[in-house]
Amino acid sequence: MEMKFDGEFKIDLPREEVFEILSNPEKFAPLFPTFHSMEMKDERTANLKVKVGIGRIIATSTTELTLEEAVPPLRARYVGKGNVMQGAYQMVSSFDLEEVDGGTLVKWQAETTLVGKILSIAGGGLRGYAEKEINKLITSLQEALSPEAQAAKLQAQAQYRGWFSRLIQFLFGTDKNKVTTPENVPAATADSVSYAPHPADAMTIKQESKQKIDHILNAKRIEKRLGRKEDKRLITGRGLFVDDHQPAGSLHMCLVRSPYAHAKILSIDVSKAEALAGVICTITGKEVAELTQPFTQIGPEPSALIQDFCLAVDKVRHQGDPIVAVIAESKHIAADAAQLVEVDYETLPVVITCEDALKDETVLHDPAGTNLTWQGVYDYGDVDKAFEEAKHIVKIDHLKFHRFSSTALESNAVVATWDKRDEIDFFCNTIMTVPIAMIAPALNVRSDQIRLRTHDIGGAFGNKIGNYPYMTLAALASRKAGGLPVKWVETRSEYMQAGGHGSERNFYDTEVALDKDGVITALRSRHVDDCGAYPRYEPLGCVIWAQVLPASYKLRNVHIDFSQVVTNKGPCAPNRGYSRLPHMWFMERVMDICGHELGIPADEIRLRNYIDEFPYTTPNGCVYDSGDFVAMLNKAKEVIGWDEWKEKQKQARAEGRCLGIGIGTTLDSGTNNFAQSQIINPFLPFSSNSVVSTIKLDLDGSVSVCVSTFPQGQGHETTASQVVAEELGLDTDFVHVKTGFDTERNSHSGTSGTYASQFAVTGLSAVHGAVVKIKNEMKKLAAHALEANEDDLEFGIGEQGPEVRVVGTNKGVNYWALSNMVNYNKASLPEELREISLNVRHTYVPPFEAPDLEKKYGNLTLTYAMQLHIAVVEVDTDTYKSKVLDYAIVDDCGKVINHMIVEGQVHGGAAHGLGAALVEIMPFDKEGNVLAGSFTDYAPITINSMPDLKCANTETPSPFSYNGAKGMGEGGGAPLHSISAAIQDALYDKGVIIQHSHNSPMYLYEYVTNKLMEPVTVESR
Amino acid sequence: MSESTQLVPITVTVNGKAYQREVEPRLLLVEFIRATLGLTGTHIGCDTSYCGACTIIVDGDTVKSCTLLAVQADGSEILTVEGLEQDGELHPLQQAFSQNHGLQCGFCTPGMLMSSLALLAENPDPDIKDIRKRLAGNICRCTGYQNIIKSVQAAAKSLRED
Repeated sequence: MEMKFDGEFKIDLPREEVFEILSNPEKFAPLFPTFHSMEMKDERTANLKVKVGIGRIIATSTTELTLEEAVPPLRARYVGKGNVMQGAYQMVSSFDLEEVDGGTLVKWQAETTLVGKILSIAGGGLRGYAEKEINKLITSLQEALSPEAQAAKLQAQAQYRGWFSRLIQFLFGTDKNKVTTPENVPAATADSVSYAPHPADAMTIKQESKQKIDHILNAKRIEKRLGRKEDKRLITGRGLFVDDHQPAGSLHMCLVRSPYAHAKILSIDVSKAEALAGVICTITGKEVAELTQPFTQIGPEPSALIQDFCLAVDKVRHQGDPIVAVIAESKHIAADAAQLVEVDYETLPVVITCEDALKDETVLHDPAGTNLTWQGVYDYGDVDKAFEEAKHIVKIDHLKFHRFSSTALESNAVVATWDKRDEIDFFCNTIMTVPIAMIAPALNVRSDQIRLRTHDIGGAFGNKIGNYPYMTLAALASRKAGGLPVKWVETRSEYMQAGGHGSERNFYDTEVALDKDGVITALRSRHVDDCGAYPRYEPLGCVIWAQVLPASYKLRNVHIDFSQVVTNKGPCAPNRGYSRLPHMWFMERVMDICGHELGIPADEIRLRNYIDEFPYTTPNGCVYDSGDFVAMLNKAKEVIGWDEWKEKQKQARAEGRCLGIGIGTTLDSGTNNFAQSQIINPFLPFSSNSVVSTIKLDLDGSVSVCVSTFPQGQGHETTASQVVAEELGLDTDFVHVKTGFDTERNSHSGTSGTYASQFAVTGLSAVHGAVVKIKNEMKKLAAHALEANEDDLEFGIGEQGPEVRVVGTNKGVNYWALSNMVNYNKASLPEELREISLNVRHTYVPPFEAPDLEKKYGNLTLTYAMQLHIAVVEVDTDTYKSKVLDYAIVDDCGKVINHMIVEGQVHGGAAHGLGAALVEIMPFDKEGNVLAGSFTDYAPITINSMPDLKCANTETPSPFSYNGAKGMGEGGGAPLHSISAAIQDALYDKGVIIQHSHNSPMYLYEYVTNKLMEPVTVESR
Repeated sequence: MSESTQLVPITVTVNGKAYQREVEPRLLLVEFIRATLGLTGTHIGCDTSYCGACTIIVDGDTVKSCTLLAVQADGSEILTVEGLEQDGELHPLQQAFSQNHGLQCGFCTPGMLMSSLALLAENPDPDIKDIRKRLAGNICRCTGYQNIIKSVQAAAKSLRED
């Protein structure tokens, strides 16, 4: 195939100068549009590497570029030869120079000849491609030859090494460095009405700051490799979060919510709302109860009898309980109309505390007849005997883990479309596939009628599992509105009332048996969880904590009576560290309180109790895969400067200052065995876990991967591409991981999702399994194409891009060709290879067995990442405000796949823990009013209150994952432990025992003034 | 909109491009930018001007665009996150956030970038205290801020060496 192109352009430079550049291969070669690098073979010949490609198949091709003819100052002619994509090409370009008007007319010609397989790749498309590339070459040549470029070249000569980079610098600099002067700024027209509140005397300052912004905006730009695959869209404002999705004709839903925490709904009048122009329809609870089934309850009877619909039907059970949905053409009209809905209530007594809930004097859910959603006893070893033999018994009346939330910055949201073909599309930010199992039965549809998809998610931290009632409601609204898309975006105030907070937990009547050395031998306790008004994902939390039953410690005799109640507060949802975090905090409190009572230092009592052999089977059958607490403690001490702080503490105490040092050891159990849900309800048909990934060579051979997770910042696109690239011997740029989740990709199972710290294990194992499968297929095809033995093949990048080749040779077949055999050229394949699809799906299933439900015994999670934190805190004795003076974290999540991402997760988890420990709490008054109804009240931790974290890691690879990694995204909330410990240590001489996980100044003041303290006693024999 | 609402004509320049639109007087500037102009890089994370996800630059000042009405921005020049990239090339600040892992979910990032840009425009060599002070109105729930500080420092360094 031959292609010819020609043209001419004029340049304002003398002909001799133009010729000088054109006839110098060293200067000419870098003008190629996809120039990569070059080496001069001799004076006339350059070996240059250029990137060549159609679509996604981009290869680096070596071209030998020779100056064949140079007639000063009239003519220069180059011949370029190279190989690309199993073919060869030759390009002859010639330049004839004529003098015109003091400048030079450059007449150019380019002839390209192609032979071989490359022709079949794109056929006719190649002409367009080649023309575009040649035009680019000519344009860069024109730019390089411009007098400005020549001037800049001289100016910049000393500054930069290469001619080409100088050119690039200059080209970018010419328009980018221009500072917009005030004169260039268009002023507001004189007759326009300006509402701008800026006083006239501020104008000068304003102009200055505008100029400064313009100046910094016009800074030089140099291409650099980005940190993660996800980043480009997110730093440019091109992410696609739910509210960014604005399909044409979208309607908007606004909810009328209850102002009361507990009340009967006597009547609802929507007539005024429906009469407002722009309102499409309304939906009430009564209608919902007719149209839908109540959501499936996870708990056994009687909590299975709870009737939970997407709107309150005859009773509201928490402030913010949704009652009516208003659907309108705009969100403002919907909000206006919602205010016109009239509801009559009859208030009922309110249940706020666990103690009141347990009394059942007021019952939230009449069909259940009790506020208790679950109760069970976890009993292991011989607790009574251990107590009989104990040297010391420490009794702690009450410890309390408070309600807070990681409050993802993007709230719950959905765009639902229930079209006239009865297909339901959810563009949403849920985080697992479980909602499908909730929504489909509620709406009386098949699960395959539901398309569930996500794109970018603005954080979730578990909370967004609670989005499904709203998704259900939006779908109903869309159907009622005739199939138009209905968008609902929760406001922050709505989230603070009802969006899914972490649950509260009370620890009552704790008794700890210790031997003479301070080794804990047994523990007895009664735990009551408060899950808010509707269980939703609960009562799973009643077993999830048992993944870390003995925490980091060796005790074998445990008796915990665990129950959960509903109260008139917003429904809870899993929150980072779900259910394990309250338990870990409890165990760390137990450790520090025992240490305090027996006079054993915090580090010493831990060293006496830490588990020190791995794998370790806990009293309830969980297997801690690997770890080394002692090494972590030593490292954390080293990082923070333990001895120096101990010295400083002595000094501070001598000065009457309250300075404390606290340790928090925590576990992040990852990869659930869903069979644990049967400990809650033996009728639940769940066990083990499965995660899917798909990988294919697309039609043009590009590598396309789907993971079945719902990432929200964890960088799954990046780490999945690392795994694939490593297996295929490629750069991650060649691997394309689809953003977000989509049921239509057919790459999910019922337990797919982003939860329970598992991607590094389940997600990456699935990706790895898929890439191994596709490699086998690729090898078979390549062996056929290359007439080679499969065992003699290797994967890598060659001159033709990603390829499979005979080891140590350049005899290879690239991905395009492999895909072509399968997708377009089946007849070229022998019968036995025609089944190959290069489109594979792999399901990873962790090696779990069913637990013994009677004994509540079995392995509940696969991996255990660990963190050890040390906090140094000073409490101001006038204000009782705590200040973190120093903070160290040592993380062990097994083999680290991506250090940057892991450290980011460690930081984030620590911020949530510190926020909760020091500032964040969701309080309610006795009427059930939400007291932190906005961010302004809740005050999530800011950059100002966040201390500097000193991080380090240890690595004990997990024996249970193919890559030695452990899931680690939840962090285990160690700051809650370490801050409670440090504050207790700070207030040591005031007799304070920290009994609440929240430590804001009011709490500390109340400890010191004895209003908050509940009894802690020790009996020694 | 109720029938009696009168639309108000406004003209704003956003990222160098002039727009003339008629808006309801109650329309928030952030809604105008997101829904009317379709520039969805500016985000909404709260109702009380606490979170800073909607931070943009109006006439050289950083503002939380949920605290202004669109009509108040009439005649002004606005820069949003979409205006940082030029001709497909990233601003050094954007690169610094990516390279230093100063973002995870990316929801707060546009606001963080705009506040950081304004900080660096005023102060090319901020210390950690300056950064903390200037970004205290921008909430990030993913990063624990450590790498945001690092990102701003790296951007400052790269801009100074420019």
